[in-house]
Amino acid sequence: MKVSFPYMGSAIVYKKLFEFLEHEVIMPPKPTQRTMDLGVKYSPEFACIPLKMVMGTYLEAIEKGAKVLVTSGGHGPCRAGFYGDTHRNILKSLGYDDIELIIFDAPQDSWRAFFRNVQKIRNGVPWHKVINRMYTLYRFVQKLDELEKMVQKIRPYEVNKGQTTQVWNQIQERFDKIKTRKELYKVYEECKQLLFSIPTRKVDEKDRIRVGIVGEIYVVMESSINFGIEEILGNLGVEVERSLYLFEWINDNLVPWILRPKRFKEIIKKGQRYIKILIGGHAVETVGHIIDFKERGFDGIVHLMPFACLPELVTQSLIPKISKEVDIPILSLPIDEQTGKANMLTRIEAFIDLLKNRKRGKTKEVFIDNIQEHVQEERVVMV
Amino acid sequence: MKEIYIGVDVGSVSTNVVAIDRNVNVLFKTYIRTNGQPIDSVKEGVKQLREALGDVEVLGVGTTGSGRQLAGAILGADVVKNEITAHAIATIHFVPDVRTIFEIGGQDSKIIIIKDQMVVDFAMNTVCAAGTGSFLDHQAERLKIPIEQFGDLALSATRPVRIAGRCTVFAESDMIAKQQFGFSKAEIIRGLCDALVRNYLNNVGRGKNLEPPFVFQGGVAANKGIRAAFERELQSKIIVPEHFNVMGAIGSAILAKNYIEKTNAKTNFRGFDAADIDFSTASFECKGCSNRCEVVKVSMEGKVIAMWGDRCGKWTNSL
Repeated sequence: MKVSFPYMGSAIVYKKLFEFLEHEVIMPPKPTQRTMDLGVKYSPEFACIPLKMVMGTYLEAIEKGAKVLVTSGGHGPCRAGFYGDTHRNILKSLGYDDIELIIFDAPQDSWRAFFRNVQKIRNGVPWHKVINRMYTLYRFVQKLDELEKMVQKIRPYEVNKGQTTQVWNQIQERFDKIKTRKELYKVYEECKQLLFSIPTRKVDEKDRIRVGIVGEIYVVMESSINFGIEEILGNLGVEVERSLYLFEWINDNLVPWILRPKRFKEIIKKGQRYIKILIGGHAVETVGHIIDFKERGFDGIVHLMPFACLPELVTQSLIPKISKEVDIPILSLPIDEQTGKANMLTRIEAFIDLLKNRKRGKTKEVFIDNIQEHVQEERVVMV
Repeated sequence: MKEIYIGVDVGSVSTNVVAIDRNVNVLFKTYIRTNGQPIDSVKEGVKQLREALGDVEVLGVGTTGSGRQLAGAILGADVVKNEITAHAIATIHFVPDVRTIFEIGGQDSKIIIIKDQMVVDFAMNTVCAAGTGSFLDHQAERLKIPIEQFGDLALSATRPVRIAGRCTVFAESDMIAKQQFGFSKAEIIRGLCDALVRNYLNNVGRGKNLEPPFVFQGGVAANKGIRAAFERELQSKIIVPEHFNVMGAIGSAILAKNYIEKTNAKTNFRGFDAADIDFSTASFECKGCSNRCEVVKVSMEGKVIAMWGDRCGKWTNSL
């Protein structure tokens, strides 16, 4: 089967998944302006940006020859649960009758539907091989996420601008070629060394700024839609951590609940201090992570939300209260096709200025002093 | 010879250039329409500055606004800084005990919350409440009232009219509807001012604790109608600083001054001849990897002097 899937975050993971199941994989292109244009053209106007971008991605994948599209469905009252069907209808109306869309809804909603889907994509690979390869993939995701977390901690202090990102690109290319578990561990160690060999500035612990990124999964994970916010922050000298990594998402959603790490439950519990009922999307997790980041000593939060996303809108309206009660600055950024980069950069820069002020003192003298440091960092980009 | 620091604020609607001395006295200020031509308007501003001040020694240059990088590249700026910080710096200088800054320009609207002379919170229009200045301009034109008289006319209204201000498209149709009902121009304009202020405070200031003293700046602060609407809505006095429409430029000049004084650096300023030099910008899509970044390239007489927009630094670092 010529299989493709929505592009989100480190898409090589999904590619690996289907390679392990011996499919012919059509790698969807990383979303670009064209993807957005296509998606916007064929989607309902008031749908949120993830639906539109995924729509665009499907169309581009079909252009490249994909026949089967595999995606995850929704769970709870967020309208993401309807996206699969919406996409299916749009594709049908465009005349793509031969395209099959396989939607994985949360297994606990219907185990039968889930296994029917599994049978479809298993592609006749014997079960013992499937289990063995899925375990390899599980470790693959874990190692890749570990490396990405390192990247986010090294980038703000790199001496040569852009080097960490280049190394990260190399790492992803190398991971793309991995076939076995043994190979995985070897490549992982080599990539770690590659990262450690990047020259960095020494920065005092008290001068380090850490920002947590929270929000709806697609805009948090997919850099092409959030303007590469992790890189922007990293280049401004800020350490970044996301609320969502694929490995943790798999643990929280796909691993049988007995084996799940406790962390997820704790985050939900923290979130329920403010949102008591399930309102869909990642609203409760977003709030839980804000509190968790604060408890772990982070300096600020960037909250990403697709424009018109109801769960995140609820979160946004709670943010002034949360920000005050837990005492952490939070910057909400709505993301839509209309979002301009200049405007977004201004906010992010001003937000980082604010965090530096808060961290390093309260007098006017320090305020100005901090700005100069920032200026010098920025000048590197200039001429 | 006079020693000055230059500050430039390149916005979408206006380009402002100021010169301050060592004691932050404003020696020169100009307010030019950008008209979509930031390079020309920056050159024009600098030319005006030279003509007005004669022989001066430039000690430092700062740029801000959405065109800050471009202006910085053209002039050889020492400091390139976002407009929120620049506005805050200038306001704190002129009104040291300020707690809340309202800044409404041509495109962007901002609220900056200050505590102990430090920015503690800020908000900027998201997808709506944008373009307040431009919208007022457009309405003045539609009603055939010079924009300068817009505010005075609003003040002359005796009855309030409620205009739907959620979105400017609907505000305009609501204004037209109210006109058909027979309300006077003055009343409708007052209603519009109220609506814009209400929308601004609800949208941009959502959930923020707004405390006096309030300072109102940006081009729209010239409008007495909006000022009065603010005072009605907040039940408090609103301070409009003397240089309300060029505060961003003053802020960036102050930042340049602080930077130069602290580091004893020599300025990167290209000199006033920059106004005669031929600059051009071009952009291209880098095909180096799947990111497909749009790279902006600024050239000075054919020689590339600045590039940005590439995520990996391939082009930025190539200079």
